[in-house]
Amino acid sequence: MTLRKTFAATTAAAALVCAGAAGAETMRIGITQNNVGVDSYQTTYEKAFIAAAEANPDVEVVVLDAGGDVARQIAQMEDLIQQEVDAIIIWPTNGEAVIPAVRKASQADIPVIVTNSNIAEAGFDFVASFSGPDNITQGSRSAEIMCDRFKALGIENEARVVQISGQPGYTTAIERAKGFEDRLPEVCPNVTLVETQPGDWNREKSQQVMEAFLVKYDDIDGVYAGDDNMGVGALNAAKAAGRAGDITFVGATNFAVGYEAMAAGEYWGSIYQSPVDDAEAALQTAIDVLNDEDVPFLNYFDTPKITQDNMGEFTKPVF
Amino acid sequence: MSETTDTGGTRAQGAREGRMSGLSKEKIGGILARQGILVAFVLFMVGFALANQRFIAPDNVLGVIRSSAILGVMALGVTFVVISGNLDLSVGSMMSFSTIVVLDLHDQIGPALAIPAMFGLTLLIGAVIGFLVGYLRLNSLIVTLGMLSAIHGLTLTWSGGQNMDIADKEGTWFSVFGQGSVLGIPVPILIFAGLAVVLGLILAKTPFGRKVYAVGGNGVAATFSGVRRARVVFMCYLASSFCVATAGLIQASRSLGSQNTVGQGMELEVLAAVILGGASLLGGSGTIFKTVIGVLILGFIKNGLLLVGLQFYVQYTVTWVIIILAVWLDIAAKRGRLWSPIA
Repeated sequence: MTLRKTFAATTAAAALVCAGAAGAETMRIGITQNNVGVDSYQTTYEKAFIAAAEANPDVEVVVLDAGGDVARQIAQMEDLIQQEVDAIIIWPTNGEAVIPAVRKASQADIPVIVTNSNIAEAGFDFVASFSGPDNITQGSRSAEIMCDRFKALGIENEARVVQISGQPGYTTAIERAKGFEDRLPEVCPNVTLVETQPGDWNREKSQQVMEAFLVKYDDIDGVYAGDDNMGVGALNAAKAAGRAGDITFVGATNFAVGYEAMAAGEYWGSIYQSPVDDAEAALQTAIDVLNDEDVPFLNYFDTPKITQDNMGEFTKPVF
Repeated sequence: MSETTDTGGTRAQGAREGRMSGLSKEKIGGILARQGILVAFVLFMVGFALANQRFIAPDNVLGVIRSSAILGVMALGVTFVVISGNLDLSVGSMMSFSTIVVLDLHDQIGPALAIPAMFGLTLLIGAVIGFLVGYLRLNSLIVTLGMLSAIHGLTLTWSGGQNMDIADKEGTWFSVFGQGSVLGIPVPILIFAGLAVVLGLILAKTPFGRKVYAVGGNGVAATFSGVRRARVVFMCYLASSFCVATAGLIQASRSLGSQNTVGQGMELEVLAAVILGGASLLGGSGTIFKTVIGVLILGFIKNGLLLVGLQFYVQYTVTWVIIILAVWLDIAAKRGRLWSPIA
């Protein structure tokens, strides 16, 4: 307990020094991220966030990373409350476990902005706004991309699809799968989704799952993967089995590898989700909340469809 | 040492069964006792094959062994470490390191130099662990648990957190280790099999192998018998890191691109395979052959559950129910009865 107090005192003192140096008008915004460095998306997000903050003279940011650890994230929330920042942005490590910490910030009159993945509904009362991608829409859009492609190929009445989803229990994975599963029968009622298995956001795991699917089913016309990393894993498996040419691959969160595979004509489409847009939207949402502007509770940034047909309009993702 | 342990078990059980029944039962018991895990393996194979015929199709079998090769190669090295009475929890994180390093160097200095450079760096990490555990006699659990994190940090520093991909995926011969095949057999399987034979022979037939068992069985006695314990432990970690480097090579070559976390969590799967194969966590027993069986059981369970089409939330549970059943069968066969109040 003494250690915690000493630590809090030091950080508070440091904060005072910073605040003094920064002047009166500056908004101080703290961010606690999920797990920077675990993947390129989060790494790019952090860089973009810092760059956006530096470009804005009215903003000063305290950038923290929870390293995927819920306990550490809660401690970081408490530190930020102690530092009396003006607003806190949180990329939740766990949608349920962080709610008490979010409530504490809200009780201290510090507005909380959730970024990228939302917290559980029980905590909505304590959140000023959510800034991030709409994963259900992303799943629906992937279904539409898939269906449009089947129509172009003339197989919309018999096509069979398998799905490789993200990490079980992860909100993004659940929402994308839901969006896809709900939308597909609406646009292509005769397409069958034969099986779903998780690829855990992992290319190698997804490759193994796809290998099993290829053994199990002689006829696969489409693969929907929860992100391009897994999509490319599935593509690798199909290429090794000599069946890639018969299959339409659609992913989400367009990665550089997915973009390249599209350019090579092996991968059909994805959803373009830029970590730069994500980071900038989060910071802008926080600024708007602090300026008392009218911000929708679910403040989605747009994530458009990208396919081999329109990929020229997009730059290659940096991650 | 392993030989001695096995014979001891058989003798005790033989005596027990001898009292109960005739000679033939004793013989069957003896075979079961030595190869309980093999029997368990065959039972699972038959079970899954009945559930889905495609399970035993040659394509699928080769595919599963190829997928298991990465885990398998790592498990071969860890077998040495475990028999010497230590643990290695850093292998998953070290495999991520090897994979990221070789992919990055591939585009910078070419594959011919990248591969030896990656092996050199990975062996260096192995040497550090070997030094800490072997010469400084630090607890291997703490050292390798610490290294798990430390190496992960090293990997992230190297890659700057970015995914690593080979730019020219079609035009490199580097893909041969993960995607090539010779006479219809995938190269990863050949590497796995070759390494298993060589390491199996070293462990079973050479003075060094016997020293590994001696150090793990009774370190103090081994030291007084003139075995240089520190050196043996050091060499075991070196062997383990060599295997990890090989696994990283296969992994990198298989997908020609990787996340920083590619090996995350594999340390436990590797350990599970080694222990499933019958090596004792206390050291002094285990064989390469049984580790290979342990690896194959894990690989085929994963694949079998996918082919049966079990809902994936259930798969986690079922996998471990099967593993624990296998361990039970192995133990039960060794002691000649299903349960025993005195272990």
